[in-house]
Amino acid sequence: MTPETKLHSIQIDNEKCIGCVLCMRACPMKAIRIRNDKAVIDPLRCVDCGECYRVCPHDAVIPETTSFSYLKKFKYTVALPSPVLYMQFGWEVMPNQVLQGLKRFGFDYVYDVAWMCENVTAAYEVYMQLHPTLKPKISTVCPAVVRLITHLYPDLLNHFIPIESPRELAAKRLRFKLAIERNLKPEEIGIIHITSCAAKMVSVNHPVGLAKSHLDGVVSIKDIYGDLLDLIEDVEEDVILQKSSGVGLGWAQSGGEIRGMNLENALAVSGVSDVIRILDDAEAGRLRNIDYLELLICPDGCIGGPMVVQNRHIAKQRCETLVKMFGEKSRVSRKMIRRLFNEGFYKMEEGIEQTPLPPLDPDPIKAIQKSQKIEELLSQLCGKECGACGSPDCRTLARDIVVGEARLTDCVFIEEEKDNP
Amino acid sequence: MTDQPLFKKAFPVKGDFASAGEASVKVKNILKDIGYDSGVIRRVAVATYEAEMNVVMYGGGGEIVMAVNADHVNIIIVDQGPGIPDIKQALVEGYSTATEEMREMGFGAGMGLPNIRKNSNEFTIDSEMGKGTRLDLVFRCGG
Repeated sequence: MTPETKLHSIQIDNEKCIGCVLCMRACPMKAIRIRNDKAVIDPLRCVDCGECYRVCPHDAVIPETTSFSYLKKFKYTVALPSPVLYMQFGWEVMPNQVLQGLKRFGFDYVYDVAWMCENVTAAYEVYMQLHPTLKPKISTVCPAVVRLITHLYPDLLNHFIPIESPRELAAKRLRFKLAIERNLKPEEIGIIHITSCAAKMVSVNHPVGLAKSHLDGVVSIKDIYGDLLDLIEDVEEDVILQKSSGVGLGWAQSGGEIRGMNLENALAVSGVSDVIRILDDAEAGRLRNIDYLELLICPDGCIGGPMVVQNRHIAKQRCETLVKMFGEKSRVSRKMIRRLFNEGFYKMEEGIEQTPLPPLDPDPIKAIQKSQKIEELLSQLCGKECGACGSPDCRTLARDIVVGEARLTDCVFIEEEKDNP
Repeated sequence: MTDQPLFKKAFPVKGDFASAGEASVKVKNILKDIGYDSGVIRRVAVATYEAEMNVVMYGGGGEIVMAVNADHVNIIIVDQGPGIPDIKQALVEGYSTATEEMREMGFGAGMGLPNIRKNSNEFTIDSEMGKGTRLDLVFRCGG
């Protein structure tokens, strides 16, 4: 692996890949090509959204996660389940039961991340009151959205709310707290996030806005679900692990971040193509009357993540029921949030830097000329957008030819003898 | 445009709201792919979008032509609409002739033309009643 490929959690299993076009066509970043009958991901373009993973019928797209055996190296283990986990079970299963199940699974400590979500909602409010200008504010919760913006929308970087994600904040606090309470060295504690997301492993290995992640690993909901299902049967009525109200639980789906906020003009957008469309609007200056923009790359938010078990529409219904059941009144002390905010607890440790994609050519004049060449080549292609050449569409093939990564004869509709690019 | 630009392309603008904004996104994406000056991209994105919306709302369709040079970008926006009766007034911030439907879509703040002028380095407008309107815009790097 090159240093660039390590930047991603999504990898291709060449044994299983048959070189069909499905992942390449699904990729919103046009980061995949088929070369020598195998899918190849451009590490500079990939944002780990997981769209390729969803469509691959051959299980050849593998999002990297942490193995359970890795947890054995820690003296003390902590589970941080995404609120999405609560929505994966039957109607009668309550969040507290799921948390208890995780303890029985073998984690020494289990923390309700939805509670930290609820805290972060309140911290966002404080931030927005203190920084009313430069609208819309954009949250940094979704790692794939953050990469998308640092790659393609550098002008929107200063719209980010520089508040760390709930998962990282929870891990930061617990490592500190548990080390003292249980008399442990911080490195003896293994903190694992349980998630539906393909991009979280990247955010652990290569965090943005943070020098080093506070998490030690990521386990997918899919991987833990089977074991957990057997462990949630019994309920211990007097063991209360859930702290969150519906405000925190609602974070599992699109609109969750803004649900608990007292804002007139907030907008929640989910799904990769809609997110790109709204970012284009934001860049054109259309959203200046919007206070807050919640952006999640998966359809309907994290609940629609690629590594879930439950049908996302059923999970959404489940989420709504739980939100109603536990109420939409935040249980967070605003006074405590203000104190922690002023102490800098929520603040991102580092600024978010832009990561522009490589231009058509390092020489600006040549880059413009190459752009013209793309248009000329495009007029020679038939526009069937078949992908048989190994590029996702005709325009991208034209671009690949111009930058020397493909030939016109790669197009199956162009006869050999006509061409010599 | 006198000198031959390094890149030139015309983008048709349909006169319907459903596809409104598509041409200006294409314009922007080409400049991003080139790796063009980010300040120019931002100003082109805002101005071209506003101009495209004008073409959709008033012009009944038209065309955006982009010409890219090493140090500046020219954008020409042409429509065959009814023309602007009083250009001077149309350039006043807050002046709007937007219909109820346009306002419902979030337009009609009277910032269209003033915003286009503000974001471009050169701004020329020609409008003839019954014939149409043409905007000539220049965006300079570092400007």
